[in-house]
Amino acid sequence: MSETMTAETADHPGVRPAADEQDRASRKASSIEMQGLHKRFGRDTVALDGVDLDIRAGEFFTLLGPSGCGKTTLLRILAGLEEPDAGSLVVGGKNVTEVPPHRRSVNTVFQSYALFPHLSVRENLAFGLKMRGLPAAERNAKVDEIAEFIKLGDLVDRRVDQLSGGQRQRIALARALVCEPDVLLLDEPLSALDAGLRSQLQVELLRVQKRLGMTFVFVTHDQDEAMVMSDRIAVLNGGNIQQVGAPRDVYERPMNAFVARFMGHDNLYEISARQGDRLTTALGTLTAEDAGDGELLLIRPETLDLLPGEVAGDNHLTATVAERLYRGSHAEFRLEIGDTTLQATVNNRGRHLPEVGETVTVVVAPEDLVTLSE
Amino acid sequence: MRKRTLHRGLTAFWWLTLAFLYLPLAVVVLYSFNSANSSAHFVDFSLRWYHRLLGNEEILSAFGNSLVLAITSSVIALVVGCVFGYGMYRHRHRKLGWLIVLIYLPIVLPDIVFGISEMAFFVQIHDWTGLLQPGLSTMIIAHVTFQIPFVALIVYSRFVGLDPTLFEAAKDLYATPVKRVVHFMLPTIKPALISAFFLSFTLSVDDFVISFFTAGPESATLPIYIWGAIKKGVSPEINAIAALMIAAVAIAAILSLAFSRRRPT
Repeated sequence: MSETMTAETADHPGVRPAADEQDRASRKASSIEMQGLHKRFGRDTVALDGVDLDIRAGEFFTLLGPSGCGKTTLLRILAGLEEPDAGSLVVGGKNVTEVPPHRRSVNTVFQSYALFPHLSVRENLAFGLKMRGLPAAERNAKVDEIAEFIKLGDLVDRRVDQLSGGQRQRIALARALVCEPDVLLLDEPLSALDAGLRSQLQVELLRVQKRLGMTFVFVTHDQDEAMVMSDRIAVLNGGNIQQVGAPRDVYERPMNAFVARFMGHDNLYEISARQGDRLTTALGTLTAEDAGDGELLLIRPETLDLLPGEVAGDNHLTATVAERLYRGSHAEFRLEIGDTTLQATVNNRGRHLPEVGETVTVVVAPEDLVTLSE
Repeated sequence: MRKRTLHRGLTAFWWLTLAFLYLPLAVVVLYSFNSANSSAHFVDFSLRWYHRLLGNEEILSAFGNSLVLAITSSVIALVVGCVFGYGMYRHRHRKLGWLIVLIYLPIVLPDIVFGISEMAFFVQIHDWTGLLQPGLSTMIIAHVTFQIPFVALIVYSRFVGLDPTLFEAAKDLYATPVKRVVHFMLPTIKPALISAFFLSFTLSVDDFVISFFTAGPESATLPIYIWGAIKKGVSPEINAIAALMIAAVAIAAILSLAFSRRRPT
């Protein structure tokens, strides 16, 4: 970055890639505190059932859950597009619960992008600044700046209907960022894109967020996306927050069966008897190290080792291969132990991959066992 | 083979239908250029009937009335219908479906019923208040009433075709309610508004029945003039007026269609 640009940044609190990142983070990022948020639609539909949540300044925070869990309602309350029935919302130390959306320093990237069809790309990008009453010269300067930052290139001079899905997504992002909001909200912004473009834009979005140090609140139903992007994740279900934590916490130590299943775990077993760290389930008795005191045992498929034939030992289970899905980099197995099934994922490192019908020994590491409540 | 025969048959049918629709109009246009005073024998090409029109005070006044009536009523209907159409859009999810039926009703109601009702209504008001003497003002009110449903429906369908999150995006991007109207809603529905204006315009120019019942002695429009003149027999002068009206209405209708097709994605 050139020195002139850095100098210029000092008296322009604009979105500039050249800005000193620490400085920017302290200036732009806002924290969010939600307390007791309730929202009901009609008589029977409870969208939010008392949500308390703190989002830290400069954090990439994800609201994760199935459709109807309340994540979108929560995002819309943050945007001001929905008013909570009860509870309070504080953004950057200011109570904004009843502030209408056009007076909140919060901008949204909509799922459908919502680019104005009657305006050019440049006019779309300048819309928020124009509504705030910024003079044309300053608007243009800021639009050029953001176009360079998001690497829009010559897209700025196109018409909206000439853009592809990925391009629209980036314009929608730029249109929100150019307003330099305290908080940026993203409502499943990547869900309409194909897989390749999606992972490319995930990386781009992360890069943008880290460089601006802005608080991002991201909504998705895709747990992989949530894990890739987020500093922290809140998992929602039925209008309630189930768990808040870093991606590794949520994936490796889910607090309950809902979170575990939503994060893609199938190997959940009821604990029928417990003697110290010896846990008995339908699979047999396993030794756990620091498993907690939940009533369900979670075994992550990727922590298992498979040995050919029957091998005796502690935490060794004898199983039959019922199904094998070869995926190149790894293989997924459905194993049967008596009437109970167990999923195992094995990396393909030139080892023997058991065939269907083969008898194998499953090695369970005690330190990878976790218990959780229903 | 059979498929081709069928195709040819359908093509022939298509041309026949068009001929059926347009031949009468063509005859009127043709004889408006006839040099002889006849609607039976075409003698020679001439513009004499058009020249005659320009010298006829009554026709010029009727033309002026038609134009003032069409433009004034269309502008009023545009404003009122636009607000109404937006209201229908905003409340489409509530149990107000019957409102939409109510707005369709004037469209399907026979003009004669409409005309008589308007007349009776204006007479009543005039008896009570002394206002609304039959004339251009009553005609404008009557025309506005039948134009509003068309405008409202065009505006409504334009709004329904929009991504609803656009309204939220405008709020999100700091647009106050007034700015949302000026910088988002009006520009977005502009093609629909222009289309609705030209449609209202043609409806007004076309209308005879409702105008007839609400007109005063001084406010004859072209259709009313034609109706009066025709009692003395069809003169080539009438053909010339008809040809001009066909041209005017066709242009307005084509403009209306062109703007209704122009919808940004």
